[in-house]
Amino acid sequence: MRRLAVIAIVLCIVSIGFGTVAAQDAPSVAVITPYLAQPGTQFLVEGFEAAAEDKGWNVNVIDTAGDVAAVISRIEDMVNQGVDALVINVDPAQVEAGLQIAADASIPVFGMDAGSNPLLVTNVTSNGYAMAAETASYVVDRIGCAGRVVMFVFDPYPPVQKRGIIADAIFANCPDIEVIDRITPDVNDGGIADSRAQMEAVLAANPNTGSISAVWAAWDQPALGALQAIEAAGRENEGIVIVGIDANPQALDAIAAGGNFEASVAQDFSGIGAATASAVERVLAGETITQSVIYVPTVLVTNANVGDFLDN
Amino acid sequence: MTTDASIEQTAARIQWGRLLRTSGTLIGFLAIIVFFTINIPNTFLTVANWLNISQQVSMLAVIAFTMTIVMVMGDFDLSVGSMASLAGIIAALLFRDSQPVIVGVLVALGVGLLGGLFNGVLVSYVGIMPFVATLGTLTMFSGLAFLLSGGETIFGRDIPADFSGFARGGIPVGMVGERTLLFPNLTLIALIVLAVVWALLEQTTFGRRLYAIGGNAEAALLGGVRVRLLRLIAFMLTGFGAALGGLMYASRVASANPTQGAGLMLDAIAAVFLGMTMSEEGEPHVLGTLIGVLILGVLDNGLTQMRVDSYVREILIGAIIVAAVTSSSLAKRGR
Repeated sequence: MRRLAVIAIVLCIVSIGFGTVAAQDAPSVAVITPYLAQPGTQFLVEGFEAAAEDKGWNVNVIDTAGDVAAVISRIEDMVNQGVDALVINVDPAQVEAGLQIAADASIPVFGMDAGSNPLLVTNVTSNGYAMAAETASYVVDRIGCAGRVVMFVFDPYPPVQKRGIIADAIFANCPDIEVIDRITPDVNDGGIADSRAQMEAVLAANPNTGSISAVWAAWDQPALGALQAIEAAGRENEGIVIVGIDANPQALDAIAAGGNFEASVAQDFSGIGAATASAVERVLAGETITQSVIYVPTVLVTNANVGDFLDN
Repeated sequence: MTTDASIEQTAARIQWGRLLRTSGTLIGFLAIIVFFTINIPNTFLTVANWLNISQQVSMLAVIAFTMTIVMVMGDFDLSVGSMASLAGIIAALLFRDSQPVIVGVLVALGVGLLGGLFNGVLVSYVGIMPFVATLGTLTMFSGLAFLLSGGETIFGRDIPADFSGFARGGIPVGMVGERTLLFPNLTLIALIVLAVVWALLEQTTFGRRLYAIGGNAEAALLGGVRVRLLRLIAFMLTGFGAALGGLMYASRVASANPTQGAGLMLDAIAAVFLGMTMSEEGEPHVLGTLIGVLILGVLDNGLTQMRVDSYVREILIGAIIVAAVTSSSLAKRGR
């Protein structure tokens, strides 16, 4: 026990030497997230750090390993420490206690793919409407604005609901496109298995070659379920076009395989990180940002460019 | 006269040895405070920061204080983290069902008692080792939290402002510049739990009997202590504390998620172990647990303010726990 005390006292003495090194004039920004272990979040943070390095900021990335209450604690600590700006990647509704403390101290907080909240200066994310427009117009172009389309949607969840509404509008603009089914799959099993079962029923009800032209899914899991159903039914050579959204690894594999699953949309996570850094820069320069959400363009992934994404 | 003096000298030496053995962790804690005070001169040693720390550790503190009760008997409760999550989910579901805040809170606390009762029956009447029994209930409670919530996070309008406002509120104690300084409600709850557990363990027959069971369960049984019943009650109290900690967490994040309490269990056990290094006999005492909780909380707060990388921070905290327990056991072995 004596040893610990001695070590601690030595640390104290040593620390007097380097205690003030960190104090510099460069703006200091803290990035706080519980989700750093997830690949998407890592790309976000790397994009932000790269942009911040060019600007010469001191960036402190804090991961609370899944603990959302700890995000509030760390916001309190950083506010106390007087950082120039905070960036969060967590649902702002869950950390409002911390956001309020930052607001009281007049420290701006930015959402990086976080969600909208009045206490955030802005939230930088991808545009769900635009993502759906990309894949729905891909389908329209592939089938020549005519044919029978199956839709997989999920209206109870707002970010996915807005995707469905755009696809509805684009298909409705082609008089010769008929939406033969608008399915809301049960997502409790992850979304693939029930989508597959539902698609099997649609295939059974439409047995003739050419009776189904395309499957538009509001996210990748139902598209993968539909692909499995089509392949299991031996109908993969009928030219049914399948599209999803999110470009998850399984979807990328399916697109790369060159089968019916032809396209998905990838969010530009490192681009969101970089755009968050420029939003921070604008506010630190004294500008007021009026947009409560800043959208970063997404990328349509097809067999032609899927290699770029698989490398990541 | 000379003999008296040498006896006094020996007595003094024994006192000093004893003090160093049992106070090493406390000295280490004070050294950590000095360290941060030097490195973060403007913000660390301020009333506002310490009120912050007290609020940040309050949930862990409640769970660690009540964990101390079972650890006094040499038992464990690994299910506290998932019980904390479950309690949050149950309260949030009742709120979503438009039940008043008090109903949600009381039902969730009742579930904590029931979960503790179940643990207690398994350990004390069925006779399963606490490690295995509570590992099983850890999984059960966690599964139940997922089942009830459908895996979702319950937040937003479902959580009444009275409930989430509690964690943001406190008793005004002064002003710092423009801002009112609040003594946080969550800190107040932690202090009440501390006082109750301290009184229970240190001032009642119940507490003394728990220590007797921890010393030698066989002897306690032969001495007429109702070991089974006391064990059962101790596990119920730990379950209750886990549920209370979980409700405090849910109030702080204004939401409930089926995994949100998971991290609290290991930290609570670590805090009790840190506290045990401060006792001559290596027994857990709740005031020692308090120091353990504060060490963890102060390190988190101070290292964050010093902008130490989060992963380095985790390694440092783990290393300090190992160092404290190691040096304490070395000192005791060398006695």
